[in-house]
Amino acid sequence: MKSKINLYLIEFAINSLLRQKFKNIFILMVLIFLTSLLASIFFISNSIKHELNSTLRTLPQITIQKLKAGRHYDMNLSDVDEILNIAGVSDAIPRVWGYYYFANMGTNFSIIGIDEFENQYKQTLVKATKTNDFTKALDENSMIVGEGVKKALEENYYKEYFNFIKPDGTFKKVNIGGVFKASTNLESNDTILLPKQIALEIFGMEEDKITDIVVKVANPEEIPTVASKIQIIFPDARVITNKDLEISYQNIFDYKSGIFLALFVVSIFTFFIIVYDKASGMSSEEKREIGVLKALGWKIEDVLKEKFYESFIISFLGYIIGILTALSFVYIFNAPLLNNIFTGYSELKTDFELPFIIDYNTLFLIFFLTVPIYIASTIIPSWRSATIETDKVLR
Amino acid sequence: MNKKSKYFIGITIFLISSVLILIVYLNMNESIDKKELNEKKAFLKVTALPDLAISTEAMYIRHRTLSDTFSLLKESPELREYFPSTYTYSHSHILNNTPSKVLNEK
Repeated sequence: MKSKINLYLIEFAINSLLRQKFKNIFILMVLIFLTSLLASIFFISNSIKHELNSTLRTLPQITIQKLKAGRHYDMNLSDVDEILNIAGVSDAIPRVWGYYYFANMGTNFSIIGIDEFENQYKQTLVKATKTNDFTKALDENSMIVGEGVKKALEENYYKEYFNFIKPDGTFKKVNIGGVFKASTNLESNDTILLPKQIALEIFGMEEDKITDIVVKVANPEEIPTVASKIQIIFPDARVITNKDLEISYQNIFDYKSGIFLALFVVSIFTFFIIVYDKASGMSSEEKREIGVLKALGWKIEDVLKEKFYESFIISFLGYIIGILTALSFVYIFNAPLLNNIFTGYSELKTDFELPFIIDYNTLFLIFFLTVPIYIASTIIPSWRSATIETDKVLR
Repeated sequence: MNKKSKYFIGITIFLISSVLILIVYLNMNESIDKKELNEKKAFLKVTALPDLAISTEAMYIRHRTLSDTFSLLKESPELREYFPSTYTYSHSHILNNTPSKVLNEK
């Protein structure tokens, strides 16, 4: 059968690779490095995307924020009633949240005030926190913090409580009532959850003010309609639907992995040019080899097949080892160094335990960026020298 | 088949199978399981704020999707240039912060 793999040719290809050991090992190394770098970047960004998307459904369908002079502005508590009157809205919850700058560490905590600390949220809070004894966590003057916050406070000798500095310069002492579970670390690391009254006090806001309103819509199909109705009632508001959030996520990660794809494209082309240049300026020895093979009766087809096996062996090995390295680098060693690209220079670093998700698109993309390109870059020049007449090459 | 090609085929099979084994292993141990997902969902249900806590210095990343309209301009990595903060020139780095009076008295 013609299409059968010729084992002798494979053997010949292996021998021919081993004859130029150092050059080929070098090419293999470069290939491994390129594939593993690109794969790692894609794996990290895919995992973060997966993490975000898996919880996207839980988020409120619509968020309403007031803008004044292009900046965020507090809303009134009475606005909630107007929204509740719109048909299709099943719930509208006023929220108080914001950032608290902790100057000692140079970090921002996210403070979230919650109204019904006890009733409505109790069940969900039990699920999300480590605290078993909820009497302490639900104490009026206490807060539930993320692990990063807990650590940051402990480093600054706040073990039991924390003194918030209010806008007027006075202190507000709040006890630490509980800690969020480690499994939510990517979401909760910098979060402080406390009763709404205390949040208002820390932010220096009046009692009837709120930061924004989240709206739940019973029927997902109605979200755009409800959003446009809200926009009519509050022309100065920014109405954010969960679709907008999804698009925003997409943009963030397309941007970050896009940079690296661009870098990779540059490096793969450099690599391609080096290989092509090296092979097209085939050493006279290699040309001679092809000439001898042809003189021995090999057809052009055979020479090309042998070259194909040669380049396939190298690039495929490079690809497989690269993927293997990337998988263990990202998911077992949690991507040291590279994760900084995605986390920035934050003081409140999360543990960065990325959830594993296998994305076949990425694997195929990397495969087609490396293997066929390398094969082409070796086959084309050898085809050129194989088509020259044998006696010319030998002479 | 000679020794070398046997080695080659052996190595290839070993590598492919180790990739597969690693994928299966990671799928079992490192992916989000249902319990964890429920905990995450519970947390988000309480806070109702999107975005991950992977960077906390810049406001556009933490709750970036809800952040201030203009914070993106000054802090975003894809920094849109706005005159003249970041464009082609910056303030002098040899600028002396010590008041001249202090220098003269020395």
